[in-house]
Amino acid sequence: MIKILQMNLKINGKDYNVDVEPGMPLLWVLRDVLDMTGTKYGCGVSSCGACTVHIDGIATRTCTLPVANAEGKEITTIEGIGLAGEYSAVQLAWIEHQVPQCGYCQSGMIMAAESLLDEIPDPTDEDINNAITNICRCGTYNRVREAIKTAAQKRKDPGTLLGAL
Amino acid sequence: MAEKQGKKRNKWTRRAFIATGGLLGTGLVVGVGGYAYVSRAVKKYTGSGMGDGSSLNAWIRIAPDNTITMAIPRAEMGQGIYTSLPQMIAEELEVEMTKIKVIHPQPEAPYSNTYLMTQESSNAFKGLKLMEKIYSVMPVIATGGSTSVADGWYNMRYAGATAREMLIKAAADQWGVSPSDCYAENGQVINRNNMERLNYGDLAEAASTIRLKDLPELKKRSDFKVIGKSVQRLDIPPKVDGSAEFGLDVRPEGMLYAAVKHPGTIGGKITKVTNEDEVLAVKGVKKVLITEFGAAAVVAENTWAADTGTKYMEVEEDILHGDLSTEGIMAEMRKILDQEPIATPENKGDVDAALAQEGGTLVEGTYEVPYLAHATMEPMNCTVLVKDGKCEGWVGHQATSITQNLLSEVTGIPKKDTKVNITYLGGGFGRRAEPDFVKIAAAVAREMEGTPVQTVFTREEDMRNDMYRPSAICRFKAKVNPDGDIEAWDNKLVLQSVSNSAMSRIMPAMAVAPAKDQATTEGVIHLPYEMKNMRVAFGDISLPIQTGFWRSVGNSQNTFFSESFMDECAQAAGQDPYLFRKSKMKGFPRYEAVLDKVAEMSGWSTPRPEGKFRGIAIAKSFGSIVAEVAEIAKIGEKEFSIDNYYCAIDCGNYVNPDTVIAQVEGGMIFGLTAALYGEITWKDGAVVQSNFPNYEMVRMAVSPKVEVHIMEVDEAPGGVGEPGTPPAAPAIANALFAATGERVRSLPLTKAGYKFV
Repeated sequence: MIKILQMNLKINGKDYNVDVEPGMPLLWVLRDVLDMTGTKYGCGVSSCGACTVHIDGIATRTCTLPVANAEGKEITTIEGIGLAGEYSAVQLAWIEHQVPQCGYCQSGMIMAAESLLDEIPDPTDEDINNAITNICRCGTYNRVREAIKTAAQKRKDPGTLLGAL
Repeated sequence: MAEKQGKKRNKWTRRAFIATGGLLGTGLVVGVGGYAYVSRAVKKYTGSGMGDGSSLNAWIRIAPDNTITMAIPRAEMGQGIYTSLPQMIAEELEVEMTKIKVIHPQPEAPYSNTYLMTQESSNAFKGLKLMEKIYSVMPVIATGGSTSVADGWYNMRYAGATAREMLIKAAADQWGVSPSDCYAENGQVINRNNMERLNYGDLAEAASTIRLKDLPELKKRSDFKVIGKSVQRLDIPPKVDGSAEFGLDVRPEGMLYAAVKHPGTIGGKITKVTNEDEVLAVKGVKKVLITEFGAAAVVAENTWAADTGTKYMEVEEDILHGDLSTEGIMAEMRKILDQEPIATPENKGDVDAALAQEGGTLVEGTYEVPYLAHATMEPMNCTVLVKDGKCEGWVGHQATSITQNLLSEVTGIPKKDTKVNITYLGGGFGRRAEPDFVKIAAAVAREMEGTPVQTVFTREEDMRNDMYRPSAICRFKAKVNPDGDIEAWDNKLVLQSVSNSAMSRIMPAMAVAPAKDQATTEGVIHLPYEMKNMRVAFGDISLPIQTGFWRSVGNSQNTFFSESFMDECAQAAGQDPYLFRKSKMKGFPRYEAVLDKVAEMSGWSTPRPEGKFRGIAIAKSFGSIVAEVAEIAKIGEKEFSIDNYYCAIDCGNYVNPDTVIAQVEGGMIFGLTAALYGEITWKDGAVVQSNFPNYEMVRMAVSPKVEVHIMEVDEAPGGVGEPGTPPAAPAIANALFAATGERVRSLPLTKAGYKFV
């Protein structure tokens, strides 16, 4: 069957062509069209942050973002975090602090944390409060905070990265 | 025996789960291996989904490549059970935790959670008691009531110990030595005489046919190497890279998506879709249908199209309770509070006479709390395929056996041809024990025969069609003597019965009458305080609202009531809230130790820093005692930051301390969210709130720093998933009183004008 390829998306460094309505939120294109299910649906109104990805490096909630607005931009999802089979500093810190409980919100939390550390390598508690507005119903906030601080250290010293691996 | 079971009836029906349908026997094979003492029902398992290798019992399969697969029949919803139960097995099996692969088995007899029904740890390897056998044969396979570790306390360890002995015997036979010449270590059996070694993978097949003559001794607590240690959770790596599969993430070949539109009012029924053509015109929409459960659904190529379809949908519906409102409910509850109670489960001494006596201080307070939604992060969903006379479901559900029964009932396909795949749960909290979303999904899939369909509630549908923690109203009258003794404590509350409502849906045959519902008074009854005269009574309000098990159930509101009012009594006695409680705990040493610990952690007896205020609360729920101190700082008029929560827990023996800490942290935050913001209200027969913007949660900025201490107590394990929740609300309400002198008797606190930053 010949499809009209309407949208060109660059996700985790790869190019995808998708035939979808331009108003369809990026979240659903990722999850239901491309089967990249690491990015989660939580609220549909950009309130909870479970759907956070990076668009040109900026943490962005995708449940209300029309896919057309992401065309031609660099999209990074949780599947694109870490290098070829290795965890990122944030992911390692998340494991070290045993952050996730049910885990459903954690993709979004990690994407928000990665973006925060890209912008502010040494975030204060206030920086963390301002940047991490995602909801975690299991209440993992304490550990998220601690893990972000640990990840900040790991990012500065790649030796701790290797050590942890 | 019969008498004992009879007495516990209310207890086990409170959290009992569905068990209709046929008994065991079809489609199951008797497991090879196993132990002579094991009752027959417990040996019936298929090992389905456990991969290659030989089963040593229902829980353990070892492959030739030394892969150790464990069947863990409890739902992993963040409480770490996919690690804690394997820890108990690994302790005795002598294998490394990192070598273990966990699968969720099909609902078969050995996996029953009999503790949920009997409140007692069974021992299948020594033999099940009569009622335990019945619950096994049903089977009752469910995760709830913070019971999983207690339920597995003997069975998991004996599963590991018997398997280890079978492997040792197999090795000994191969070497021609006595088993006593061999020992097991790190996935190998070792011959003491020459230090020769054999891998479990090379022994499993031979071991699986061995029948042991004697039940091995379990390790002593002092010899534990894995139990009681903070082992890294096995489910965490896939939860940091997006690969963990939740119900919404399953993608069977050719799957379509369905969005649900519930009736607009409670108890209503959608009877007709009046604009089907318009809905079908939405790009990607395939089908519009109405289920027998009163809800309509739109099936489409993706969730977005399905959701868009439901938004276009116009319907005709039957409305039964269009006038239901929070104002009406509260007025009715206040009226019932003045009527005769339907039950008085605690009545000691002569409360009326003691209250009527001269002297002492009379303390009175009437408390209220609203309905609450569960708001799991992952909205309700279930994926079902009906094809060629078979049914397969993929769902994050707290009860595998219920799920199988429901799929079978709705699709008409026999249970033996109904397969259940339990995924990770994006939050449970009691919501995922409910049948509604499985039933609707099964009905949709039945109409879409041949195609797998993922049926989803949007956040709005989820929040407005929950089974809610009930609203409650609670009145206290107490007489406090000049020396601080509580002479009389009179307590009466009114709320909808949760067990009656929930069990009517989940397991109708076991639905208790409201007057017998112990969940109604848990948290205001059996308090750890000496009181000379005490009475707890309750009334019932019958409403069309469905109430459900919500993390910590009755304790979630009742501990707020009782522990706030204890503070009122302390105030009346002119005593420190901690010392006042402690002075009444003479017969409750475990409570007193936990209370002392939390006081120590929080520096209660040291002068509080300028502008900081503390509140204390303690409660026992699900077999564990938790005390919490909230420490808040005044920022402005009625404006506070919540700086710290100190928590101490006595849960008896524990398996994974870091998991216990995480559960107490999270349980506390869950209770704090309810205390600060939680409120579901009703207007014109429907829920007003619909999503997080109007049903707010504690987020990072408001979240306090939490410190948790686990008491070292060599007693039977209690639960840890729920007990952290109940003390959170009274601890902060008591801190607010310390700060302002205002007693807030109604939740949420933000409604009383408080602001938290």
